[in-house]
Amino acid sequence: MAQHKIDFTKDGGLPVALTTIDNVVNWGRSNSLWALTYGLACCGIEMMASGASRYDFDRFGTIFRASPRQSELMIVAGTLTKKHAEFIKRLYDQMAEPRWVISMGSCANTGGMFNTYATVQGVDRVIPVDLYLPGCAPRPETLQYGVMMLQQRIRKEKANRSLKPKRLM
Amino acid sequence: MQQPNRLRPFFENITFDRDDNELVLNFGPQHPSAHGQLRLMLHLQQEQIVKSHPDIGYLHRGMEKMAENMIYNEFLPTTDRMDYIAASSNNYGFALAVEKLINVEVPRRAKVIRMLLLETNRLMSHLFWLATTALDIGAMTVFLYAFREREYLMDLVEDYCGARLTHSAVRIGGVPLDLPDNFLTDLRKFLDKLPENIKDYEDLLDQNRIWKMRMENVGTISKEMALDWGCSGPMLRASGVNWDIRKEEPYELYDEVDFDVPFSDKGDNYARYKLYMEEMRQSARILYQVIDMYAGTSPELMAHAPKFISPSKIEMMTQNYSLQQHFVLVTQGMRPPVGEVYVPTESPKGELGFYINSQGGPYPYKLKMRAPSFWHTGILTDLLPGHYIPDVVSIIGTTNIVFGEIDR
Amino acid sequence: MRAYTPKDDVQKKSYYTDRYYVAPQVPKFDVETDDVFAADLKAIKAKFKVSEAYIQVEQMVVYINPKNIHAVMTLLKDELEYNQLSECSAIDFIAARGGFEVFYQMLSMNKRKRLRIKFFIKQDEAIQSVSDVYRSADWAEREMYDMYGVIVKGHPFMKRILMPDDWEGHPLLKTYPLHGDEFAQWYEVDKIYGKEARSVIGPEIRDAARVDRYDTERFARLGHEVDFGAKFDENQAETPIKYQEDEGVFMIKKLDSSESVTITDRDR
Repeated sequence: MAQHKIDFTKDGGLPVALTTIDNVVNWGRSNSLWALTYGLACCGIEMMASGASRYDFDRFGTIFRASPRQSELMIVAGTLTKKHAEFIKRLYDQMAEPRWVISMGSCANTGGMFNTYATVQGVDRVIPVDLYLPGCAPRPETLQYGVMMLQQRIRKEKANRSLKPKRLM
Repeated sequence: MQQPNRLRPFFENITFDRDDNELVLNFGPQHPSAHGQLRLMLHLQQEQIVKSHPDIGYLHRGMEKMAENMIYNEFLPTTDRMDYIAASSNNYGFALAVEKLINVEVPRRAKVIRMLLLETNRLMSHLFWLATTALDIGAMTVFLYAFREREYLMDLVEDYCGARLTHSAVRIGGVPLDLPDNFLTDLRKFLDKLPENIKDYEDLLDQNRIWKMRMENVGTISKEMALDWGCSGPMLRASGVNWDIRKEEPYELYDEVDFDVPFSDKGDNYARYKLYMEEMRQSARILYQVIDMYAGTSPELMAHAPKFISPSKIEMMTQNYSLQQHFVLVTQGMRPPVGEVYVPTESPKGELGFYINSQGGPYPYKLKMRAPSFWHTGILTDLLPGHYIPDVVSIIGTTNIVFGEIDR
Repeated sequence: MRAYTPKDDVQKKSYYTDRYYVAPQVPKFDVETDDVFAADLKAIKAKFKVSEAYIQVEQMVVYINPKNIHAVMTLLKDELEYNQLSECSAIDFIAARGGFEVFYQMLSMNKRKRLRIKFFIKQDEAIQSVSDVYRSADWAEREMYDMYGVIVKGHPFMKRILMPDDWEGHPLLKTYPLHGDEFAQWYEVDKIYGKEARSVIGPEIRDAARVDRYDTERFARLGHEVDFGAKFDENQAETPIKYQEDEGVFMIKKLDSSESVTITDRDR
């Protein structure tokens, strides 16, 4: 059996860290933001690119999950159309609390250049949004920056924040 | 307080449990391997599909309506968002249609740059196709490798036009910019590596048992079916019809370059996969020739047609009349002659056609985009029955559909 | 008094047109100038009435009687080797002529020719489906119905394709506004939350140029972030972009940029 000898006076001291529950919970939450793949249009391609080889989203602990029940972050990447609106609401409702929403790209923010009959003028008309990323399409760097901002925000929150759901209605 | 949720299933009139043992499965519209917002209503007998109803329109953004309310130049960036994996090919299709309408000949250097853009876009699109399809089938490695190569191409295009995804790199009457200094050397460097990379993918996939089982003899499209459903591009060529618009109705400089059009008469997923790989090689071959064409072209980038196309920056800054002309063209837009035109181009997905009906005003009276993916989705109605559920994913993968252009 | 705006065509109009401007025509050529097209036209003319035919931008345009469409298509496919129907749609001429112009874009691979069959129908006239001749007409006709409300007889599945099933109106009609009618503008709110939620959620903001810089709920400013709904201060200094909190993050090592390597040669 392998023996590991650790010199506690040197390598960073005792393998014990003292902290608060809030910190631990928020550390866990902010560093394993599993995102629901919600690639709707062009931004979805940039979202894929940020998950792929060069940008490598796994570094952030962000893994794309194809199921709303196992993810806490919804990255709405692309144009939300009126036909699709009810599905985004349904999937959002299926996600477990705590949950966050990033609206990626102009279309998701405000309808963007598609100022037409068929486009929802911003996903915040349907689901509450935490973070808006500008751009058409935002670069993967923007998305990663956005996720880092969200992580900072999560770390600031109380772990057992009151169960007041963020609802439009 | 939260209101009771009013969402009701869209498919209220569908009975999911039926007496005849038929199961109705809803696939999509937000499914990771549906390549966008495809929704399929599949009727199943156990694992086998007996009936399929593709439901599209979840990304319908009203582009054709927008086109009717925009001047021609204003609409060009919107075409980026159609086939967003190869945006320049859409820009080009639209620009070519308008050029045919106003009867303008593009300078040679602009043609060369357009060719470079079109073929890099084809490579980008095919690499993306390979990545996503391999990911759907489970080959994560290929996904990462293919995305790596795609990023190099994106860098190149970004060097040229400043955007990664939505290029707007082609203008009506030419191209806006000359190539940056290092573009051709970088491209050549990339192309020199590309055959190795393609070989890597093929080593990983060609003889891979899982890949072959998922691909071979799955999703076989007969020649008649492909023609009947209006398939084009690789979908048609994999079914034994040797039809490539670049070859048959050459536009731009395709009649000057030497390339082969691969085709197969197998018609199944595997044939389509091999076709995409071969097309990448041919694209590289075209690019090598086009790189050599660049040297020795005169530096004009935009066609000279003062009635329709803004004059060059130098003219605009030195000549009063040119400035006025430019002002009118920007504020009111060009007024093409009365008439209609349908111009097909070979986009990476297939035949991308723009039908423009002009009534002499600055806004198109009707603009219809003939997007290849629209018909490639339609064929799923007839193609899926008889297959099993796992085949659905691989068939959707090889049809290479992209929803920006299906729903427009 | 409000200026009169025509309701039958709400497409954007040029705000200024020279009185003396006469729009030129895209040249039309006689069909006889092309042998292949001339032979095709002869074959069509032998059986059906052709009201007009010409060549425009290398493609022949043939105007036929709408009643003959199915037979003409069968002829084109079976005898004239037009093996693909590339596209089919309608053009709204209701304001000017009280109907639609329907076109069918055909392709013959053997002859390398493209042909456009066109005809005019009145607004409430139905057309015959050709989906049993060319399967691709199946979806094209559905789209035509969806966008223009042109009824197609004999179609196997005449339903909306792009818009939701419960949509009202046909979007590509010239009478339909770009931003949608009232039904369209409230569609998702009505559907998800109900009509009484309209006052809570509010109308859509359709002005593309509208920027409320004091609205911290809708607008993000890179480098000037404030908390959601917090007051926006005019004189707020630029917040430097920080990827981590100052005091560090629990159990996470800060990146030492001096240790990281920047790859300059992208040749791997």
